[in-house]
Amino acid sequence: MKILPKIRNAFRNNRGFWFVLPSVLLWLFVGLYPVAFSIALAFHQWNGYGKFFSIFPKYLCVHPTCRFVGLENFVKFLTPGLPTTKSFLNALSNNFTLMIFGTIGVIAIALPLAFALNNAKFGSRVTRALLLLPMATAGIATYYVWKLIYQPTGVLNKLLENFGLAAWVAKDGWLGGIHTALGSLIAVTIWSGVPFAMILYLAGLQTIPEEIYDAAIIDGASSWQRLRHIAWPMLAPMTIIVVILSLSGALQGFELQFLMTSGGPAEHTNVVGLMVYVEAFGGWGVPDLGRASAYGWSLFILGVGLSLLSLYFNQKYQGGNE
Amino acid sequence: MSTLYLRLHRSFNIGKLLIIIFLIFYTILSVYPFLWMVSATMKDPIEVVTSGSLIPQHPSFTSLIETWQKLNFFLHFRNSLFLTTIVILGSIVLYSLAGYGFAILPFKGGNLLLGFFLSMLLVPGVTVLVPLYILLRLQVPMIGPHSPYWLTYLGTALPIINGGAPFAMFLFRNYFKSLPHELHDSAQVDGASELRIYWSIYLPLAFPAIATIGITTFLASWNAFAWPNIVLTKPEWQTLPLMLRQLDLERLIQWNVRMSGSLFVIIPVIIVFFLLQRYYVAGLTGSVKS
Repeated sequence: MKILPKIRNAFRNNRGFWFVLPSVLLWLFVGLYPVAFSIALAFHQWNGYGKFFSIFPKYLCVHPTCRFVGLENFVKFLTPGLPTTKSFLNALSNNFTLMIFGTIGVIAIALPLAFALNNAKFGSRVTRALLLLPMATAGIATYYVWKLIYQPTGVLNKLLENFGLAAWVAKDGWLGGIHTALGSLIAVTIWSGVPFAMILYLAGLQTIPEEIYDAAIIDGASSWQRLRHIAWPMLAPMTIIVVILSLSGALQGFELQFLMTSGGPAEHTNVVGLMVYVEAFGGWGVPDLGRASAYGWSLFILGVGLSLLSLYFNQKYQGGNE
Repeated sequence: MSTLYLRLHRSFNIGKLLIIIFLIFYTILSVYPFLWMVSATMKDPIEVVTSGSLIPQHPSFTSLIETWQKLNFFLHFRNSLFLTTIVILGSIVLYSLAGYGFAILPFKGGNLLLGFFLSMLLVPGVTVLVPLYILLRLQVPMIGPHSPYWLTYLGTALPIINGGAPFAMFLFRNYFKSLPHELHDSAQVDGASELRIYWSIYLPLAFPAIATIGITTFLASWNAFAWPNIVLTKPEWQTLPLMLRQLDLERLIQWNVRMSGSLFVIIPVIIVFFLLQRYYVAGLTGSVKS
């Protein structure tokens, strides 16, 4: 007899859940299921043919196109000395280079821009709109323009010649040289990533009360000190968002490499995401979907580790300040 | 007096001058590739890869016109528009509801669930491309070879909507949280149901957040490449960005053609973004503040 009110109470106390339910259902369908599928796939070898691999409603994996291999996929690119290991580590180190320089570059450019826009008295609206363009258009079209700019006879080389910097000209084109290709891609990543970080910083700056600055000026703080000791700590939450976004972008991204260099020259711009894509959809040879998944999940593990690390440092840093 | 002194002190400052110069320089750097794109569309195939000048020698609209015809612009524009409409509407409806649930009606395990959604940011999208393809093409044939137009696009849109979930949920939740809770309580006293409070009070107030999510999801779905490239295999059902690669496949790369195509792809984005960027920034600022 007392169970009915109990159910009613449970229903009433958790009304919020019904609002979240539709998103959860969509996520179960196109989020969790593919993730579970792809984790399972990482422990199999499957070329995509035959009776297809399946984990739900029942497990399905039929010889000879599919077989369970346990950790073999991971062993193949984590055993030192194997050529696949070399490719994987090369791609991974490119991911890290992109991540480190991309993140630093975005912050180093977006922060001063946000300051400038915050102080500018006129024209800041138009300037802001123009500065946001690279974010709005990020994709195949802008990758193509940059590819044109980077051509051997492209405008970047022409400009360098005109400014008397002929020694800096990249003869094979900026994407063609093994020393310049990755850097050129990082530049495009930064160019597309700056606007969003800038907007976040601008929003953050507007929440800092004027009085704090005025007090600091009276106390004789230089503008560098104001930046270092007032703005930077107060913008820490924005920095965390920027770091996590560009971190996951650098780890997961592959469209830029796919459309601009295909990982070349000689794998100098290859990244793990591109290896997954090429292994699964890319064309030459028989696809190995199991190994593609295994590559991908090693990225995920790294991503989780790095995010936990950045949250830890954030907490430590903020704890030290108080 | 003291305020005047402070203002003067603050306006003459070498660091500030440098920062303004940097602002001007970087604005040019942001816009320059677009100017270069426009100029390239008016050059001939040789000049476009050899000239270092922004102004074409013999400006002509031939490549623009030819590309326009080859692109079949309005057909693929419609496809892109259809995909973005589903994604925008779906994201706003689903995640404003979820944000309301998380912010206004906290429930057991709600924070855990939100954290779970946020951690999805770290799942590399490329690893689930194969499972999604198998799921939506073979197991639940939404994108099968015989499925109708709308179902194919719905199937293409669902993973894109789900991909935007962490950001959209977080934004709506923060935005609703920043509104005074009395709104909810007084409406409840008046006897309004939760769904009614959400629909008639909170949703209209959330316009800035809706604008931000609308624009974010618009950009994400308009510019999407890898996923639509795998599932939208029928030539006449491809979205505009996919058509850019079709232009290349026909013959040798002609950069003036490529740039004309690129220009056609980004013009709608630029128009929409210029009209709405004010709201985009306002919504982002509003939810960051809380």
